[in-house]
Amino acid sequence: MIAQYTGGEQYYGTNWMQIVLVLIFSTFIILNIRRAEAGKRSGKHIFIRRIAGLNAIDEAIGRATEMGKPVLMVPGIGTLSAVSVQALNIFGHVTRSAARFATPIRLCCADAAVYTVAQEIIGEVYQSEGLSERYDQDSVQFVSDRQFAFATGVSGIIHREKVAAAFFLGEFFAESLIFAETANAVGAIQVAGSTQNTQTPFFIAACDYVLISDEFYAASAYLSRQPVLLGSLVGQDWIKMTMIAITVLGVFGNSCERAFTKATEGPDKKVYATPRTKSASELTMTKFVSIEPVPEKMVPKREEKPDETPKTEEGAE
Amino acid sequence: MMLAQFIAPGGSADARNLAFIWFLVGVAVVVALSRTPSQFRRHVVTAFTFSAGLLYVMSWLWPKPAAYNPSQLPYNNVESVGVKIAEGVTMMGSILQVIQGVLLFLGVYSVLRIHGGRLTKMRKDWQYSAALLVAMFTMIIIGYWDFYDGRQNPNVLSAENWGFAQYAKDFLFDGLLQTMDAAMFSIIAFFILNAAYRAFRIRSVEATVLLATALIVMLALMGGVEYASGEFVKRVTLEDPGHFFNNFTLTSIRNWIGAVFQQPSIRGLEWGIGIGALSMGLRLWLNMERGLSS
Repeated sequence: MIAQYTGGEQYYGTNWMQIVLVLIFSTFIILNIRRAEAGKRSGKHIFIRRIAGLNAIDEAIGRATEMGKPVLMVPGIGTLSAVSVQALNIFGHVTRSAARFATPIRLCCADAAVYTVAQEIIGEVYQSEGLSERYDQDSVQFVSDRQFAFATGVSGIIHREKVAAAFFLGEFFAESLIFAETANAVGAIQVAGSTQNTQTPFFIAACDYVLISDEFYAASAYLSRQPVLLGSLVGQDWIKMTMIAITVLGVFGNSCERAFTKATEGPDKKVYATPRTKSASELTMTKFVSIEPVPEKMVPKREEKPDETPKTEEGAE
Repeated sequence: MMLAQFIAPGGSADARNLAFIWFLVGVAVVVALSRTPSQFRRHVVTAFTFSAGLLYVMSWLWPKPAAYNPSQLPYNNVESVGVKIAEGVTMMGSILQVIQGVLLFLGVYSVLRIHGGRLTKMRKDWQYSAALLVAMFTMIIIGYWDFYDGRQNPNVLSAENWGFAQYAKDFLFDGLLQTMDAAMFSIIAFFILNAAYRAFRIRSVEATVLLATALIVMLALMGGVEYASGEFVKRVTLEDPGHFFNNFTLTSIRNWIGAVFQQPSIRGLEWGIGIGALSMGLRLWLNMERGLSS
């Protein structure tokens, strides 16, 4: 039976599952942030495993300091988003270490908004370390917002300045390998991480250390040990465990349903005497998580808005 | 209805007046914010971030009208609110576009400051900076000239009526810039070869597995080799479609690797990234994110 139209297409069928799951997942994250904050007050610290790519940060900066060469940071070519903010957070940590050793930095941006935020963050880092005199405003630069013009510009900087360490963190696309291979050609240590799965294999092939998938988001928790970040990391683990449970339940439920129950109604909605094995789309767990299109008969007949354009006199312009 | 007071047709006198008024309002807000204590400013930014975030959250949570046309009246109150939220999201998109435009000026200023400074002080590699600035200004001037010509006389948009500005823009944009972009893109092929060579060297068990897998996938994509493997399997199985050895053609192995190893791995990675983005988004929206620099 088709449900009564309420004015909301995304609530038709079983699509409400998306909303329920996101609300549950958000609760997991907020709940664990509160737990981590309470844990910090009572002296209980959350353990998180080592991430090799992040351990390499200090090694890379140390090498750049010894060689007297700059550290290059690229937050990808994406616009200002959670991804680029996360990348800039990690670069803030890199800059703090570099500032202490007076190692020069280069931060190249492809988006004007990211550039503005990057300037603020890097300036703040030097200020908080009491090393404002070491901050070179030109160390954070906007190169170009065109993909390959940006790739060319950054490659030029890598070659001319012979950077000793390169950090490529953020949203990268086809230019990822240009950066990684150019930095490899000048012998730089490279730490990379992209939220684009298509680019991760390129980074793995060409870079020394790679932050894979959610390691990129876990980085700030690992580096800062702030309870908010540690708590949200634990919340993310809860979400993963829930999803694993749902997946196992789905596989088990669908397999059992297909093996032990039969459909008597055919695809043409007629009831047949000979029951048949259910198709994948008829299984309960599949229906539970899939989206059904809105049936045409659910779309209401609406009235047209009255015409509000001023009427002109006949013949007048 | 309320939004209609702030909207005017593009290029009209009303639009220019509105743009000017909003520009003044924007300047006033920036000046006022810069003169307020940082603690208060933080509250303002937090409130604005939360409100803007709430609009996007509501646009996802609130029922969307099904097959709604803007010329129609909303069916009920639920739809009315949904339409208002959609209008708010559109307006927020316009505000973001304006902010992006202003920030682009800051980007151009950065380019001018760095390369202009290098040029005037004749620092190392000043020639590259000179080339960049000349290219940038030439492109800006020709681009605006072409745009202005197009606005004044739309006939110049068809190729037979092109003037100097259109030919110059075509040469600079399609003839040079696009071609150079394509050249940079094609360089990736050589980089892939180099990276693949280094990645596939047998140094560890993982690298050996990687090499073997890549070899199978590459061979399966080579028409001749794939055909030969298919013929070999046909001879072994005597063309019996139910024979178990049919699973060992290069194409079958490649498909198996893709379906059993590659797809689940990619889905796992995408899940991790999605959850991480949700967590980061929540922290930013609820002002919990303090950053590593603080």
